[in-house]
Order: sequence, then structure tokens, then C-alpha cells
Amino acid sequence: MSYQLALQQLTDSALPTGAFAHSFGFETYIDRALVFDEGSLGIWLSAFVSQSLTYADGLAIRFLYEGGDLGELDSLLSASLLPRQVREASVKMGGRLLEIGGEVFPSPALELYRDLVTTGRAAGHQPLAFAVVARSLGVPLPEALAAYLFATVTSLTQNAVRAIPLGQNAGQRVLRKAHDDVAAAIEHIAHLTPDDLGAVSPGLEISQMRHERQRARMFMS
Amino acid sequence: MGELELVVADRGQRSVASHQYHRGALRVMRPHYLDDSGQVCYVVVNPGGAYLGADLFVLDVEVSDFASLLLTTQSATKVYRTPGSFAEQRMTVRLGEGARLELMPDQLIAYREASYRQRTSVTLRPSSSLVMAEVVTPGWSPDGAAFRYEEVRLRNDLHVETEAGTELLVLDNLLIRPPLHDVTGLGFMEGYSHLGSLVVVDARVDQALADELHGLTAGCHALTGISLTRTVGGTTGLVLRSLSNSTDELNHLLRSCTNFLRGRWYGQGPLDLRKH
Repeated sequence: MSYQLALQQLTDSALPTGAFAHSFGFETYIDRALVFDEGSLGIWLSAFVSQSLTYADGLAIRFLYEGGDLGELDSLLSASLLPRQVREASVKMGGRLLEIGGEVFPSPALELYRDLVTTGRAAGHQPLAFAVVARSLGVPLPEALAAYLFATVTSLTQNAVRAIPLGQNAGQRVLRKAHDDVAAAIEHIAHLTPDDLGAVSPGLEISQMRHERQRARMFMS
Repeated sequence: MGELELVVADRGQRSVASHQYHRGALRVMRPHYLDDSGQVCYVVVNPGGAYLGADLFVLDVEVSDFASLLLTTQSATKVYRTPGSFAEQRMTVRLGEGARLELMPDQLIAYREASYRQRTSVTLRPSSSLVMAEVVTPGWSPDGAAFRYEEVRLRNDLHVETEAGTELLVLDNLLIRPPLHDVTGLGFMEGYSHLGSLVVVDARVDQALADELHGLTAGCHALTGISLTRTVGGTTGLVLRSLSNSTDELNHLLRSCTNFLRGRWYGQGPLDLRKH
């Protein structure tokens, strides 16, 4: 029970990290009329969870929990997030999380990460900032992964509901369907190797890159 | 199995090999000079013509200070069945001060039940210039279905070496595993069959250049994205990723970009490789 409320606070969509401003490339699919309803949003979300969130965010969280070097993992994320807007989004939200975490869930590990960032030795990525805080609160890895992945899925779905637009109930149905994707991702992440970190799927990545050139944009990524 | 070592050094007017070694199924052809820039062109040959299970190919390439190398292949890299195992290519590249490498291999074709891992590790200086382009085909099987291979992993680790130390600039990690899930649709290959990649690292890379390359690719029958990496030690990377339905279309697109850079940065004409 000790960490439950803390975890809920950390993953609440009201946590002011700026997640409402990012689509991580789905806005490009909306622009190309490939994501336009509940079903097509579900397909995109499923691909995003099983690729980007699994091989980058999720795997980085697991490696940090397993004692991986924080500075090295931070550098691997900076180098593997090739679309500029996605890299900047991760650092922007990571910076907010480090700041909020420092005020409400301070720990020596978090101070260390903040110090690496303020001295320019790390960029400060969102999944790693989350992992450092969750680990310091004693959240077991599977729960931390489930909370992080589902929180990301929730904010993306809320953003898509506004952007497509979709009804609120449709949004809830998309979220319910995403339970299976998140569960599969947690299982998959457990079996990946260091060589898998940052593996990309070309389509998602190209859409994230093309977002830079999209004319009308609601989102920063 | 095959091993290849090549060191290219600047000899005033021309770049020449100062060290060369090969063993097994890898060698290079006699060097060419395609223009009067002094850039030397080496063509890597795999006389066996194919990669099979448990094959390991190791390439070690160094371009010394101010030397310039164009490295290409004689033909496509074909990976055949690798039951219970995988074929692997490991390439290590070091670029000195002001050194330049254009790495332009032919396309990769992975056939039915093939697993292939390619790892290219480059260490360069902020003053070095790197251009690498690559095309991956879907590798048709005898029954006409595409994507019947087991796994293709193409990983590029690009490090920048400065006085302050060595820092990772680009981790370009492509993993295609058709048996694991459908790779053809939305989010993965987007209905296209071929994938092209271009990676450029050079102190002259900036947003204006990315915009120009975007303009060059706009008319192609391909879905293309271009983005810049962060800047380390004053040098920046540019990554272009493109999906299309033919090797020719992607080669045309990638060549438009690399030829543009050859002209803009070195006053060289378009690359004309007459394969033997």
C-alpha cells in the first residue's frame, strides 16, 4: 500500500508534464487520413505500444531497475530517439518529472539524476526519470511498467479524442482494448536483450519525422 | 567466413591504401579513381555471393586524417536460409581528422528463413564526414510472398571522439522480425515493401540542409522522413528514412541526396559506379 497513492499521483494525467501537447506522430496519421476513428486509433496505439514504448521507454525502465548505468541509458535514449520532436518531447517531459519528483518524492537517486542533467552530463529522459522515482518508492518493476505504459496510452488517447475528434466513450473503449497491448508489452520487455534497446519501426519513425513539416499542428510532436 | 582490413591514407593528390588484408570469402577489387578529387573507391567482393547460417564477416576500415574513401559492394548482399542460426556482418570504421567516408553498399536481400545481423560501429572526429546509404528489400520467397525471413537486424552505432572523450551520437537500430507480428501495415512498413536509410554526420549538417534534401525527395514515389540528431562536439547527424515499393526508386532517392552532397561539399559530379 505504501507506494500506491504515490504511483497514482505520478501517473495521473493531471500531472503537469505537458503530455497533453504531444502526439508522438499520430497527428501525422490523422493528417494523412489514416487515423480517423476508434478502430484506426486502436491500430496505431497498438503499434506504438508494441514498438516505441516497448523497445525504448519500457526497456530503458527495465534496465534501470536491473542496475543499468543511468548516464549510459540516458545517452542511449538520446542517440536512439532519432526524430527530433520525439527526443525533445522525452527531455521536456523528463525535465518536468525530475522537477516535480524533486519536490514531492525526493530521493538520493533522483538527486543524482538531477545533478547529471544540470551539469550537462545527461539529457533527462521521461522514462528514466519515472523509473528512478518509482524505484525509490519501492514500486516493483512489473507495476512500474504497467503504470508508465498505461499512463502514456491514456494521455495519447485523450489527445486523440480531442484531435480526431472522438466521443469520450469511444476513448474509454480504446483504452480498455489497450489493456491487452500493455500486458503483452510487459511480457515482451522481460525477454528483450541490450541489443534490442532503441529498435525502431520505420513507419512510426517516419511519421514522427514528417510531423516537423506538417502545416497545421495541434501538437508539438 | 571472411575478414577484411583496409586503411586508407592521404598521399597529397590522392588517397591510397596504406594497409590491406583479407582472409576467406571477402576481398576488395583494385582501387578506382572515379574523378580527379583524389577520393579512392574500393569495391568489396564476396566471391561466395551469399551469406549463410553461422557465417561471420568482419570488416575493419580506417580512413586516416584528410583521406577520402568511397566503399561499395560488387552486388547485393543475399542472405539465404540460416536454420537455427544467423549470418552476421560486423564492421568497424574509424575516421580521422578531416577524413571522409561514403559507404554505399548494394541492397540487402534476406530470403525465406534467413536471419541476419549487421552491426556497423563508427568512431569519427567532429571534422570527419560520413555518408552511409542502405536499402533493405522484402526478400521474396519461392511462393511469391514477401517478408518470409526470420529476422533482420541492422544496427549503426556512431560515436564522436573529442578531447573531452567519446560520445554516442547515433544509435540507429532497425529490427524487422516478420514472424513476431505483421510488419506490413500501419506503423511498420505502411503497406510498402522496401526500406531505405541515409545517415550523414558532418559539421555542415543543419536544418537548411535537411530542408533542401526534403525538397529533393518530395517528387519521389516514397514516404520519407528526415530529422536531425543532437549536436556533439560541433558535428550533427542527419537521418533520412524512406519507404517505397522498389529498389530502383529508393536508390534514385538516396542517390539524389548523396549526389547533392557530393556536389555541394566537394564539387564532385554524380556518382557513377560501373559495376564489373
